[in-house]
Amino acid sequence: MRPLTLARLLMRCGILVAILFAVVVIALKLGAVQVSLYGLGKDLLGVLLRRSNTLSSDYGMIVLDIRLPRILLGIVVGASLSVAGASFQALLRNPLADPYVLGVSSGAALGAIVALVIEGHMNLTPELAGVITPVGAFIGAALTIAAVYVLGRREGQIDSNTLLLGGIITTSFLSAVIMFLMTTLPSNNLRGTAFWLMGDLSTPQPRSLLYLLILGFLAAAGAIYTTSSDLNLLLAGEKEAMHLGVDVPRVRIVVYLAASILTGLAVAASGVIGYVGLLVPHVMRLIFGSDHRMLLPAAALGGAIALVIADTLARTVASPTDLPVGAMTAMAGAPLFIYLLRRRLA
Amino acid sequence: MREVVDEFGRTVRIPQLPQRIVSLAPSLTETLYALGVQDRLVGDTDYCDYPADAQKKKKVGGVINPNLEEIAALHPDLVLVTKEGNRADTVRALDTLGIPTYATQARNVNEVLTTTQKLANLLGVPEAGSSLTGDLQARLDALHGKLDVIPPTRALFIVWTEPLISVGKDTFVADAMRLADATSIVDAKQDWPQMSLEEIAKLQPEYLVFAAGHFEEGTRNFEALADRPGWRILDAVRQRRFAVVSEAVIRPSPRIVSAIEDLARQLHPAAFQETPAPNSPGAPAPPTPPGAKPLTSTRAARMALNTQIEIQELACAR
Repeated sequence: MRPLTLARLLMRCGILVAILFAVVVIALKLGAVQVSLYGLGKDLLGVLLRRSNTLSSDYGMIVLDIRLPRILLGIVVGASLSVAGASFQALLRNPLADPYVLGVSSGAALGAIVALVIEGHMNLTPELAGVITPVGAFIGAALTIAAVYVLGRREGQIDSNTLLLGGIITTSFLSAVIMFLMTTLPSNNLRGTAFWLMGDLSTPQPRSLLYLLILGFLAAAGAIYTTSSDLNLLLAGEKEAMHLGVDVPRVRIVVYLAASILTGLAVAASGVIGYVGLLVPHVMRLIFGSDHRMLLPAAALGGAIALVIADTLARTVASPTDLPVGAMTAMAGAPLFIYLLRRRLA
Repeated sequence: MREVVDEFGRTVRIPQLPQRIVSLAPSLTETLYALGVQDRLVGDTDYCDYPADAQKKKKVGGVINPNLEEIAALHPDLVLVTKEGNRADTVRALDTLGIPTYATQARNVNEVLTTTQKLANLLGVPEAGSSLTGDLQARLDALHGKLDVIPPTRALFIVWTEPLISVGKDTFVADAMRLADATSIVDAKQDWPQMSLEEIAKLQPEYLVFAAGHFEEGTRNFEALADRPGWRILDAVRQRRFAVVSEAVIRPSPRIVSAIEDLARQLHPAAFQETPAPNSPGAPAPPTPPGAKPLTSTRAARMALNTQIEIQELACAR
């Protein structure tokens, strides 16, 4: 494989950005309400050229206020989950690791639900109430990954199979706790939680959370990117990387915290969406190789593309009823997971 | 435009006379029809099935997950939601889109009536509201007069048989049962608690009350329960003491009063006889001996009452 140059990196990312743009345009057109792409383009051009100052009211609100924010949310959430997945896979040296499989998403969901319960018992200002869920989700994610990490260690080294089993056990335990909370608490607090738990992009998030999501993504993904050369060396093993001068504990802390932030924010905004963080980095690794300087941005863009496509399907296949997007990703993701698992064991 | 305070306590700006209304709950849809303003209803949910005409309105998705695009495309000037059934997220999303929403809340039968009157005022038909609620209140008062001296029946309300779902003590259904002179034996804080046979056996209800689309469906539900292993441990099952009420009782809409009357008639048939039978002076004992004579004697009448009511989707009746 030819060495990665900046030009090559930018060109490849450019291609992915172009694909993402095309997907977004198609996603903007499709939906419960028919929108003509030509009419929309003409209208948008009119606004840009200042010939008129509003879109045709017939679909202006639907496209700009409902569909576009939802697509943006899908982009940020998809990118967050995918980068988190790529980082977990690198750090744990396990291609089957991802926030969903490791139980980190369930931990974040439990954290968010606990935050909702606390919110119900205290009279918080709306600004504070909007932030408490993502903070709860982050704490839940961070605690879970720490627990799974401890469970997955044998004789000082991460053992892949023990780690995956640890993740599965943690997920089922956390799901049980979530079930317990949902059946015992008065239903008013948790209205719609079951829907949200399956992964849901249909609920528009408050602006503040959307900004928090974008800022959090940029900060956390940036932090992970600074470690990408170290992650490349870590592929050889923790001890080997240490001999090559990598400050492994520091890398570990940075990546775990940043990936927990990414997972926590994504879950707070959209519930538990599985398999994006698992499959997208995989596919990107097959296409672009496992150099993390290329893999991380490719995973971010690929995750965005995948989730926007999945959500567009969720919006349209049973229209006007919205399906949870988590059901779409699981339907595509679970069979692929089994395929990858079997190929690895073979 | 004018400002009103809804039952979430929010101040909302709504048009003087809303003309394009979207209802996001079956109970609200029924209330609009009862008030005679159905022409101004432009959209409702997949579960709005009563009256039959409501099924022809433009559907905007489910109660929990309505499709915002469909709602926006209808250009409503008012969206009605319930505090119990709809999500706060939905209300917030409609707020950001600049679509006015008004939330109602009905935790008991009295609030069903006051909410109906408030909606009537909101929609500019206060007289329709006062005549409707006045009539409903008069019927409830008449019922109270008949049942006042009779001790209440201890009953288990069955929303759903598999799994067995009953109603919590704070629901309007439990309140509706009180008005029909029955006590819901379930002392749960949750609105729709799941019950086990063991708990029910401990509580030993005098009557099982089924919510169903029509009488035959309720009877089928009873037979299915009675055939389950262990259920004959209940006196009510062995003596076939069960009542069937319209699913209207699990929607906080004006129709609930008819369901209350229906239930009272089945639980306390003696109170509805024009001349009290000579052998049952004063307070008649509600649990009749095996054979359950009063039930069969009024069965024809009850079937006639219940067959008017269409089969409804139980799971999402609210």
